[in-house]
Amino acid sequence: MSDWIAIGALAVVAVVIPLSMMFISWLIRPSVPEQGKRATYESGEVPTGSSRQVKFNIQYYMVALLFVIFDIETAFIVPWTVIFDGAVEEVGFAQAFAPMAVFIGLLVVGLAWAWRNGAVEWVRSARAERQRVE
Amino acid sequence: MTLPDTISGLLGIDGVVGTVIGAFLGAALIGTIMLANAALAGPWAKRKITAAFTDRIAINKLGPLGLGHILPDAVRLLSKELIVPEGVDRPAWDIAPIIMVFSALLGFAVIPMGSGIHLADPSVGLIFAFAVASIASVSLVMAGYSSNNKYSFLGGLRAVAQNLAYEIPLILTGLSVVLFAGSLQMSEIVAAQQETLALGPIGIPAWFGLVNPFAFVLFLVANVAEVGRNPFDIPEAPTEIVAGFQTEYSSVYFVLLYLGEFVHIFLGGALIATIFLGGPAAPIAALSVVPGFIWFLIKIWGVFLFTQWLRSALPRVRIDQLIEIGWKGMLVLSIANLFLTAVIVGVLPS
Repeated sequence: MSDWIAIGALAVVAVVIPLSMMFISWLIRPSVPEQGKRATYESGEVPTGSSRQVKFNIQYYMVALLFVIFDIETAFIVPWTVIFDGAVEEVGFAQAFAPMAVFIGLLVVGLAWAWRNGAVEWVRSARAERQRVE
Repeated sequence: MTLPDTISGLLGIDGVVGTVIGAFLGAALIGTIMLANAALAGPWAKRKITAAFTDRIAINKLGPLGLGHILPDAVRLLSKELIVPEGVDRPAWDIAPIIMVFSALLGFAVIPMGSGIHLADPSVGLIFAFAVASIASVSLVMAGYSSNNKYSFLGGLRAVAQNLAYEIPLILTGLSVVLFAGSLQMSEIVAAQQETLALGPIGIPAWFGLVNPFAFVLFLVANVAEVGRNPFDIPEAPTEIVAGFQTEYSSVYFVLLYLGEFVHIFLGGALIATIFLGGPAAPIAALSVVPGFIWFLIKIWGVFLFTQWLRSALPRVRIDQLIEIGWKGMLVLSIANLFLTAVIVGVLPS
């Protein structure tokens, strides 16, 4: 229990440190509003369009979907690694190792499938390539 | 014996009050140590190391070796005007830098730093450290989306793709160490590395980085990607998207993001030191007179030096290469490493 009190204390300290730095900065920094100062930075050009409607690559979704599967897989692997050494002594290597090998093997087959179907290949859109100005 | 117990014992306060007071004083000490490290690394060591690699001098006017530049630099950065760009999503834009620092600092709660400086030792220590370090991704998304800037948005997306791709290899490789140690508790993992391996006439410490160098290299690479340093610094990529997710941040917010990044590098270094380099242990028994805390500092600064070396030596990978290295290379290798380690642990008599 005292471990989690200590972690909670560090969590409080870890929020207080940035807040106090923001407070100190608020005390000593100037404020000189000028026209155009607050414009969105686009390398000195006048900003065009909204930044929240940028079209971006579909790839970002696909790797996120893959990640969900493998993250859950990792959550299942954690307890297995902790008990593995004891389980080998108790039921033997084959029984301790085989179930997890099958489980991870299935996911590796899934990864191979995703790989073959180009989910981990960077998607190139023919339309975007045509529009490119070199 | 953890740090809060030591402090409450020194103060002679028992019970819950003693635990809470000890916990807060210990937490303040950990925070101070890491801030001091980041202050040394950010305004001073990074410049000096890069200058040494590129045959320049860098800062040298104030104090010995230019160390005196740290204080004026801190004041200069904090006293900059805060420019709030048009259209930022206000609470998210303000919270992102706080989360960044929070996630990096909180990870140190479970790191054994030697000489009794170990704030907490829960039985899920390693997973806690990984989980807390991953919160940084949230702040990157918040910073990227809320800034209302195209560069920030793309930088935020890249940061997420990168963290997702390298999180799995990082954790799987870390877990291969757990197979050896049989516990997620940090003190147990360190204790499991205290033996000496006999290699013919010479004895080397049984650090997991030496027992399983393959896992060590995988973890180093995944860690560099996870903290977003070269050659995996594409979330910032100054030559492509200005500064990525931190383009619109100025003044103290910029300081906080910068600080969070440096503390994050040190957190990665502390994880490497703890699970692969024997934690605060000395490499040979004869050097045990040097306190463990010094060894811990040497190890995390070694990792920091390594990241700065990569920064000077390697070009940046492209985003498509990054995805392919992560999902096709690192993930497959880390699964292979996990299997290999399980076979070694299971078949070889221990």
